[in-house]
Amino acid sequence: MKVKLLLRNPQDYLRETADDIHKLARNPAPELHPMSAETEYVRALNAAKLERVFAKPFLGCFGDQGDQLSRVCMHPRALSLCLSGCVDGRVAFWNIPRRSRVLQLDAHSGCVQGLCWHPEQDLFYSCCDTDRTLKAWRVGDDLTEFSRPVSQRHLDFAPLNLDHHVSKDLFALSGDAVYLYDSRRSDPVGQWKWGSDSVLQARFNPTEWHLLAAVTKDNALLLIDTRQREPLRRIRCEFRQNALCWNPQEPFVLATASDDYNLYSWDARRLASPACVYRGHTNAAMDVDFAPTGRELVSASYDCTVRLWESGRSQSRDVYHTKRMYRVFAARYSLDARFIVTASADFNLRLWKARASEKLGALTPRERAAVNTAEALKQKYAHHPQVRRIVQHRHLPKRLYQAQLEMKAIRGKQRRKEVNRREHRGEDKEPFVPERDRHVRGVDE
Amino acid sequence: TTMDVAAEDSDQMPSGFHAKAAAKAARLRREAAKLASASALESPGGIESRPGEWAPTQSKLLRRVAVAARPGHFELSLQYGPYSVAYDTTGRLLALCGRGGHVAAFEWRQKRLMFESQVNEPCHALTWVGAGSTPQLAVAHSNWTYIYDAQGLELHCLKRLHKANKLFWLPRHWLLAACTDTGHLHWQDVSTGQTVASYCGHHGPLRVSALHPDSGCVLTGQPNGQLCIWTPLEKRPVVKMLCCPAGVRAVATAPAGHAVYTLGGDSRLRVWDIRCLRPLSVSDSGADAASIRLFDAAPQLAVSQRGLLACPVRQGAALMVLPAGGAKPLLSHPSPGRLSDLAFCPWEDVLAFGHARGLGSVLVPGSGEPNPDGAVHPLSGKRQRREAEVRGLLDKLPPETIAPPAVGGGVNAVDAEGIEEALARKRAAVMALPSDEVRQFQPRRRSGKASGELNRKVGERWQRRRMELRQLLKSKKRVLAEMGDEGADAAGGRKTKKAKKVSQSGELTKPATGTFLDRLIPKAD
Repeated sequence: MKVKLLLRNPQDYLRETADDIHKLARNPAPELHPMSAETEYVRALNAAKLERVFAKPFLGCFGDQGDQLSRVCMHPRALSLCLSGCVDGRVAFWNIPRRSRVLQLDAHSGCVQGLCWHPEQDLFYSCCDTDRTLKAWRVGDDLTEFSRPVSQRHLDFAPLNLDHHVSKDLFALSGDAVYLYDSRRSDPVGQWKWGSDSVLQARFNPTEWHLLAAVTKDNALLLIDTRQREPLRRIRCEFRQNALCWNPQEPFVLATASDDYNLYSWDARRLASPACVYRGHTNAAMDVDFAPTGRELVSASYDCTVRLWESGRSQSRDVYHTKRMYRVFAARYSLDARFIVTASADFNLRLWKARASEKLGALTPRERAAVNTAEALKQKYAHHPQVRRIVQHRHLPKRLYQAQLEMKAIRGKQRRKEVNRREHRGEDKEPFVPERDRHVRGVDE
Repeated sequence: TTMDVAAEDSDQMPSGFHAKAAAKAARLRREAAKLASASALESPGGIESRPGEWAPTQSKLLRRVAVAARPGHFELSLQYGPYSVAYDTTGRLLALCGRGGHVAAFEWRQKRLMFESQVNEPCHALTWVGAGSTPQLAVAHSNWTYIYDAQGLELHCLKRLHKANKLFWLPRHWLLAACTDTGHLHWQDVSTGQTVASYCGHHGPLRVSALHPDSGCVLTGQPNGQLCIWTPLEKRPVVKMLCCPAGVRAVATAPAGHAVYTLGGDSRLRVWDIRCLRPLSVSDSGADAASIRLFDAAPQLAVSQRGLLACPVRQGAALMVLPAGGAKPLLSHPSPGRLSDLAFCPWEDVLAFGHARGLGSVLVPGSGEPNPDGAVHPLSGKRQRREAEVRGLLDKLPPETIAPPAVGGGVNAVDAEGIEEALARKRAAVMALPSDEVRQFQPRRRSGKASGELNRKVGERWQRRRMELRQLLKSKKRVLAEMGDEGADAAGGRKTKKAKKVSQSGELTKPATGTFLDRLIPKAD
C-alpha cells in the first residue's frame, strides 16, 4: 500500500530573511475563487467611491491681482511659469508651484488684449487696443524687472488678440482683420478679412504652418491659408464663438467656445457641421484650451465654472467651482497636462488639478498598480447603474444646479414640441435633424 | 465524475451560439487547470491500495508517513457531553463545545491551548467568525448565541439568535447565519453588527441544515423529503426540491463546488448538482447508482475540499470516509463514544470528530486541497492574515449577492426580464388599439348646483384622453408603416399613403430646406 499524506514544509511558505517580502500562495483555480464577478463589482464600486473621496482639485489661489484678469499665457518650454494680463495694463509673471508673483510690469495704459511667448527666445509680446501698441519684452535669467520693452510697434488698428507662430518669426494680430506680421518688418506681411466685423482671435495651427483659424464678431469661424490672399472657408454659426484652440496632436481638429453655452470641435476637412458638441455649461463659454495630449479640453465659462471634457464626448468629465470664483474668462492647461490655471473676474488666478483625485508626488510601484487597477475596474463596470451614478455625480451649488435644471427643462420642452410637430405635421415637413447639424448656418468658400 | 452539463451535452445545446460559448468556457477551464497545475507547489495526498487490501487503520498510516504528520492524529477524553467541533477557515485553529458547557479552542498542530471555559449551559453548535487575524468564536448556547474572542472573553450575546442549532460563517459577506429550533433563520453582519435578515421560515424547526459556501445560501432538509434553499432577502425558500422519498436526515455541501449531499430517511445518500437541481452520479463504476445505501448511518455528514465524504456508521460507533464519488470506503476509525460531529480540516489531510466522550482527530490522505490561494492557509503569517482581513472587509459583498445558482442572476447577468418587459410594452403600445367606441365616448353631462364646473372638468379630462388615444393610434400606425415599408421593399407591393405623395411630386420639386426660400418651390398639383 502506498500512502501519500499532504505535508507542507513551512520553509516554502516563510520568507527567507526579514528584508524579504512575504510569500503569497497563489492558485488560480476557479473553485477557490467563487463569486469573483461580485467581488470585482464591489471593488469597482469602492474604487468609484474612493475616487470621489479623494477628489480635491483646488490647489490654491495665486494671489490678488488687484483688477480683473483678461489673459493667461503659459510658457512654451518651462513648466512652472505663466503670464497674466490685466485690464489695467499690468502684466504679471507667476511661478506656478509656489503660486507667487515673480515680477510685474506696467505694460500698457489700457486692457492687455494679447499675450504670447516667443517659442524659442526668452521674449514675450503684449498688445493693447487702447494705446494700439504691440510691445516685446525680454525677461532675463535672474527675472529682474524691466521697465522698458525691448521693442514697441504702433499699429493703425486696435488689436484684440495676439498669437505667435510655433517656429517661424511670425505673429498674427486680430483686430478689424487678421494681420500677419514678421518681426523683422514693420508692415504686415498678410491681411485677411471676410465681412465687416472685427476678428476676436486668430490662432496658428501648430502642425500645418500655413494654416490659421480665426473667430469673428459676426458669429463666424474663418479658416485662412497664409499662402492665399483670401480666407479658405467661413463657417457661419448661430452664436458668437468667443475663443478657439487647435488640437496640438491632431492637425485638423480645432475647438471653439461659443456664446450659446456650448463648445464645438471642428474637423477642418469637413466644416459643414461640428465634429462634437460639448454641452454642459449654463452660461456662455468664454475660453477653451486643449490639453497637450490632445485628448482633453478645458473650458472657462461665464457661469463661474470650469469644465473638463474628454475629446469626442459631449458630457463633461468634471466641473470645478468655488464660492469665491466669479466669471471665469481664461483657462489653460499646463504643459504636462496635469494642472489647469484659470483667470476669473474676481481678480484671481487659480491653480487646479486636471485629475481631481490624483495623488501629487511620487507614487510607489504598488500605488501606481493600485491606481491603474482602480481605473480599469471603473471602466469595466462603467455601465453598471450603481457605479455610474457615483462616477458621474458632481455636487453643484444651488444656483448652478437650478440653472442646470432650467437648461434641461428648456431643452426638454424644445424636444417635446419638435416631437409633437413631427407627429402632427409629418416626417417630411419636420425632418429629424441631428444635434450636430443644428448649429451651423452655412459654410462659405 | 462530476457532470459537466455545459461541456459534454453539445448536441443538446439550444443553438450554435450556446455551443460556442460552452466550448470556450470549457477551454478556459482547461487552461486554468493547466496553469494551476503548472504553478502548483504541492500535490494532493492519497492512498494506493492493492486489490483485496483492507482499508488502512490509523496505526498503519502513521507507520507509512513522516513524523511531521503525527500531530494530526490525537484523542482527547473529555467529560462534558457530546462535542461539536469546528475548524477555522485557515485550518490552524480547532474549537470544541460540549453539551455539558465545555467551550475550548486550541491550535491543534502545536496543541497550544487558546482558551478553555465552562459556561454552565448546554452548547449545541459553534463556528469561527471573523478573519484569521482576530479569531472569534460564535457558540450557540441553549437560549442565545455568544461570541468569544481568542482569550475566551465573552464579546457579544446575540439574543436574536435564539435556540440556534446550527451556525454558519459566510466569509465573503462577513455574515453569521443561524438556523434555529423555532424555525427562524438569521443573518447577522459581524463587521457592522447589523441584522441583515431575521425571519420565521414557517417550515417547522430547522434541524437539518447546511451552508452552500460558493453562493452563501442556507440549505435545509425537511421531514417531507424536501430540500429548501434560503436567502436573506426572501422570507420564503427560494427553491424547494424533493430529494428523498422519506424525510431528509442530513445535508452537507463541499467547501467549494456545486455538489450537495443528502441523506434520507431511507438511509440512501444522494448527490445533487445545486446549479441545475439534478442528481450527480455517485459511483465511479458507471453503474446506475443514483444513491448509495449507508447502513445505520447516523445523521452527520462532512465533505472535504477534495470531495471525500465522512459519515458515522454502526450507530455512531465508528466513522467511515468514502472517496469522491465512490461507494467503497477509503478508511474507517472506531470512535470511543457515540459520534456527534465531524469536520474536515481545510487545507490538511485531517478529520476531526466529536463524540460523547471527547473528541479525536484522524489522518485522511487526500482530503485537503494542496495549493491554497492567498493568506488563508495554515502557514500564513500574522501580518499576512491581518492584511487579508482588511482586504476581506473592503471586498465585503452585499447580501443581495446571495442567490442560489439555479435561480440565476448575478452582477454580469443580462437583464433579460427588463428587455422583455420593454419589448412587451412596445408591442402593447402597438397592438392594443383603442376601439372606436372608446375613442368616441362622450361623458354624461351632469345637472345640478356645481355641475357647470364639473362638466367642464370632465370634458377636459376626456379631451386629454382622446388626444392620448389619438397619439396611441398614430404611434401604432407609424410602427406598422415602418414594418409595412420593409415588407413592401421585399415584396414590391403596397406603399403607405405618405410615400405615395412624395413619389408623385418627384422630379419637379426640390427638397424643402426649412428656410423662407421654400415658398418658391412650385407646389405639386
